Amino acid sequence: MRPPQAIHNWQMDQKADLNLPEQKPQYVSAFRALSGYCREHLLGFIGVLVCTVVAILSELLQPYLMKIAIDDNLLAGRNDYGGLLVICAIYLGLSLSSFAFAYVQNNLLQHIGQNIVSSIRKRLFGHILKQSMSYFDRMSSGSLITHVSSDTEALNQLFNQVLLSLFRDGLTLLFILVMLFQLDTTLALYCLILLPVISLIAIAFRSFMRTTYQLARTRLSRMVAFVAENLSGMSLIQVFHQQKEQERQFDERNGLYFKANLREIRTNVVFGRTFDILSNLSIACVTWLGGMAVLGKNLEFGVLYAFITYIRQFFQPINTITQQWNTLQSATVAISRIWTVLDSKPDVEDKEAAEGDAAKPEFGTESRRERELEFARARGQIDFRNISFSYEEGLPILRNLNLHIAPGEQIGVVGSTGAGKSSLISLLCRFYDVNEGSIRIDGTDVRDIPQAKLHRMVGLVQQEPYLYSGSIIDNIRMFDETISREEAIAACEFVGADAMIRKLERGYDTLLSERGSGLSAGERQLVSFARIIVFKPQVLILDEASANLDSHTEQLIQRALHIVSQNRTTIVIAHRLSTIRQADRIIVMSAGQIVEQGTHEQLLRQGGHYRKLYEYSQRHVAV
Amino acid sequence: MKSQRLLADFFRKTWPIYVLSLSLHLTSNLINVYFPRVLGQFTDKLQAGELTRPLVVDYSLLLLAIGIGTVLFNGGAMYLVMYVGRKFEFVVRGRLFRHFTQMSERFYAGNGVGKLLSYFMNDVTAVRESISMGFNSTANATMLLLAAVAMMIVGGIPYYLIAASVLPLLLIPAIVVYLGPAIRNRSLEVQEALGTMTETAEEQFGGVRVTKKFAAEEVMEQRFGRTVDRIRAKQLRLVRVSSCFQALVPFLGTIALIAALAFGGYLTIAGTITLGSFVALTLYVRMLMNPLQQIGNVINTIQRARASLERLNELLSQRSDIVEADDAQAVELTNAAIRIDNLTFAYGPSSHPALRNIHLTVRPGQTLGIIGRTGSGKTTLMKLLLRTYDPPPGTIRYGDADVRAIALESLRGGIAYVPQDGFLFSTTIRDNIAFYRREEPLDSVEAAARSAQIYDNIAELPDRFETRLGERGLTLSGGQRQRTSLARGIIKNAPILILDDSVSAVDAVTEQHIIEEIRRERKGRTTIIIAHRISAIRHADMIVVLDGGVITQRGTHAELLKQGGLYAELYAIQEEGNSHASAAGHS
Repeated sequence: MRPPQAIHNWQMDQKADLNLPEQKPQYVSAFRALSGYCREHLLGFIGVLVCTVVAILSELLQPYLMKIAIDDNLLAGRNDYGGLLVICAIYLGLSLSSFAFAYVQNNLLQHIGQNIVSSIRKRLFGHILKQSMSYFDRMSSGSLITHVSSDTEALNQLFNQVLLSLFRDGLTLLFILVMLFQLDTTLALYCLILLPVISLIAIAFRSFMRTTYQLARTRLSRMVAFVAENLSGMSLIQVFHQQKEQERQFDERNGLYFKANLREIRTNVVFGRTFDILSNLSIACVTWLGGMAVLGKNLEFGVLYAFITYIRQFFQPINTITQQWNTLQSATVAISRIWTVLDSKPDVEDKEAAEGDAAKPEFGTESRRERELEFARARGQIDFRNISFSYEEGLPILRNLNLHIAPGEQIGVVGSTGAGKSSLISLLCRFYDVNEGSIRIDGTDVRDIPQAKLHRMVGLVQQEPYLYSGSIIDNIRMFDETISREEAIAACEFVGADAMIRKLERGYDTLLSERGSGLSAGERQLVSFARIIVFKPQVLILDEASANLDSHTEQLIQRALHIVSQNRTTIVIAHRLSTIRQADRIIVMSAGQIVEQGTHEQLLRQGGHYRKLYEYSQRHVAV
Repeated sequence: MKSQRLLADFFRKTWPIYVLSLSLHLTSNLINVYFPRVLGQFTDKLQAGELTRPLVVDYSLLLLAIGIGTVLFNGGAMYLVMYVGRKFEFVVRGRLFRHFTQMSERFYAGNGVGKLLSYFMNDVTAVRESISMGFNSTANATMLLLAAVAMMIVGGIPYYLIAASVLPLLLIPAIVVYLGPAIRNRSLEVQEALGTMTETAEEQFGGVRVTKKFAAEEVMEQRFGRTVDRIRAKQLRLVRVSSCFQALVPFLGTIALIAALAFGGYLTIAGTITLGSFVALTLYVRMLMNPLQQIGNVINTIQRARASLERLNELLSQRSDIVEADDAQAVELTNAAIRIDNLTFAYGPSSHPALRNIHLTVRPGQTLGIIGRTGSGKTTLMKLLLRTYDPPPGTIRYGDADVRAIALESLRGGIAYVPQDGFLFSTTIRDNIAFYRREEPLDSVEAAARSAQIYDNIAELPDRFETRLGERGLTLSGGQRQRTSLARGIIKNAPILILDDSVSAVDAVTEQHIIEEIRRERKGRTTIIIAHRISAIRHADMIVVLDGGVITQRGTHAELLKQGGLYAELYAIQEEGNSHASAAGHS
């Protein structure tokens, strides 16, 4: 129960909604999954094992050396001080090597563990990023974050604590048993009777302690949630003058947590003491049995001394190992969660990959030159042929839609919320696959184009520009070092963002914190336009920004929009009619279908939906 | 500012428990140190050949009694102090929460929830650990050390032998104190690296659309990979120190044992001490190792706790800037006009005024509409009316009373405020609506929900008005939250109702219903409506336009349209959007 852990736990619980029913750990499958990684480091593990043996040797042999000293040197009455010094020297040597090997063992194990954990982290992240958009719709980003950070951290603790303890304490136990039998078989057998008793008590107590610990943690979590909520709603509480009532409710939660704590303390104290009493009981037993044996001269006194010391040492590792149970359990649950994520397959896959071809989309390794050639060839003709689409079965969003866009054409799309405008765009970007029909760019089905290539061919400017933490220049070139600084700056000059960026204290190297805070909404939008320009898409989609921008920035953005859409197939989703009046063709959508299309003048003459729309807007402005 | 002495106050009340615990620790250890001595005597008897069967049984039972006695007293001592520690936590958290409820909005503007929570959790826990776990370890180790040394002296072990064997052990706490901070720093670095990785993942999953759109998956994987590698490096850096530390402590223990063995063995051979004393000595050395390591830990804990304690004391000595005057009067707001007279207000001495030269009178029963862009000062004006910030004296009056002279309970009881964000608590919907009077009957809760046009939505929920919100409960949409929060304001049935942009997330049709309902219900009672949308305020008796903290226009809807300016401009823009939406909706 580390202090900062409490808040951290609470936040993680909140994020992932992990207060769900607990998952049962599935040890076998979890460790099968991990075994592949462990096999890679087999040699390392053997090394750890060897180091552990040497490291615990001095601690273990101490009572034995003492026994020799007592029986052979002191009790023998030979006044053999030289022999005693030899024993001291051996002991010193042993403890020096223990010191060194314990150090090496710890570092080696951590090295292996960290390597495994970081490669799992990278693999997991890469895997999640490769999933298609529908996956991100399904999974809350909170739970994904928990998988990447806290589940892998639980895995880390498996290596950090559980394995370390298993190696060290497990071997210690084993060695003590061996030593006991070595010293005296009968006495050792007697002691062995104790073992099941101790284990049973330990296990019973541990599970009891787990429930009390869980209770305390849940109550703490509730109390923190209450306080956090009240802190953010404090002005409301004060305005409604409800301080007294909220204080009462807080006291209730605080009191419940206090009670759970007391229970936890009691269990802890009782468990610890029971264990100690057991240990004392066994020592008394050994003294009694051993004492009788010594009297009968079946046993040397040194053996008895060693026995008593070993029994005292015996309890420590058992205690430590049972403490690892919780960690082991949560790590197992974490592993199975991680592997569930790793088992999921993206809905939208590249053709070759889907056909089982192991070849990666060649895009990543392609040189920039080739890429440019490829884009130069693309003309930007788009054909939606008879497409139907739904996110959920039975709720069609788009029905039998046909739309053909000529290279370089500018299309404006209008329609109410839910008419299917955004879905049309998502399909063109292949965030989803159509249920029926096909979408072709320059005659090629989008499903036959590697996604990486498709995504760079079709540029999308969203309402809310998303910027990453990092410098402005890196945001413009998307951290792609193959794009030169000059190229990125040229793009900014092109869209008119250059002046704004140069005004900033560190210019293009200004570091943006999360989501580009520090820039205004308009400035963020300008940066995102520059980003589009750098990647030279042949088709451009603009989800028109409707944010409240000040008039100066709005002008800048309108100009930038105009510049960006030159010589490109452009699709603009409009929220205000004025922005698309000049479009080559205007599409009016309703309930997943195109109901009208034509130029502004044509549509006005047609006297349908569009005309009605237009007249409304005109009349009201004129009032 | 009253300086706070959290811990001193606490110790003044609880010192008898600490004294009791300390004496229990002492008793426990006095018994404990008999263990090696008894075993030593056993050895001596054996060596002298005086051991008999009944004597063996006696010794075994004696050892058992010592063990059980030690354990019981020790358990009692620990429990007492742990109990007191948790009590401290309980009491201090209660005080903190009460303190939080008293602090004004200015305080919350300067202190984020995360920071305040960290006082509440980390600082309190740090202090608790040092006064419970810390006390237990120190008391136990000190008592054990004293008792053991005393016992060795009584048992006839020479001073110089004791000194030689115990001195290496005393290095243990010194090493803990020396290496502890380094270990802690490095482990903080690991935590930080972990935090960075989590943030990167958060950012990536939030912006996954953009990443995919630019086919930048690989670049982003590399970025993420770097944060992972950093954790690995930091973790290994931590292990280098911590494993050194972990190996060093037992090593010092063995050095002490070697000293005892070499020196003590020599003295035994020379006949200066008995074999029993020698056995006892080695057992004492083993006994002392663990407690001494804990003392080191405690020293580190206490150092951290001292900083926490200072922060807590500092926090508790802060006072709210909104203070009820000593002669504050309860004022009946039903027939009180609101008079704002030459009000200029800035949040800080050096900041730009949020409001300038505001003159405004709302007669009892009137409806006032306020419109303006984001940041024009609308909400600031409301905060001053509610006195969550203090206006300059004499600038805001209800009837004849200055707002600063009115008892807070009567002021805030007389105004129903509906904020924009629709903040709801994680309790039932019913408790949220009946927030002002929790015992309100279900009928009136339902009536308020009907007025706020949220009744039908609630009726569809499985537990209707008893449905729990938030946390593990249900999440409402923005519009539903706003309407629930509106019902909370309506049910208060207060002389003055303030809607602070309270229907911004509600669709146009529902908004119209709500506004009509409000007009009907609030007939003859003072109502202030702040809005972005003109449709929400066009029927008000008076409309003021705020721009940059100044009233630029005032009048009725018709007058303002005729005047031109910002109001007419806003109207033109909004009407275009509205007709567009409704026309497209019909098609």
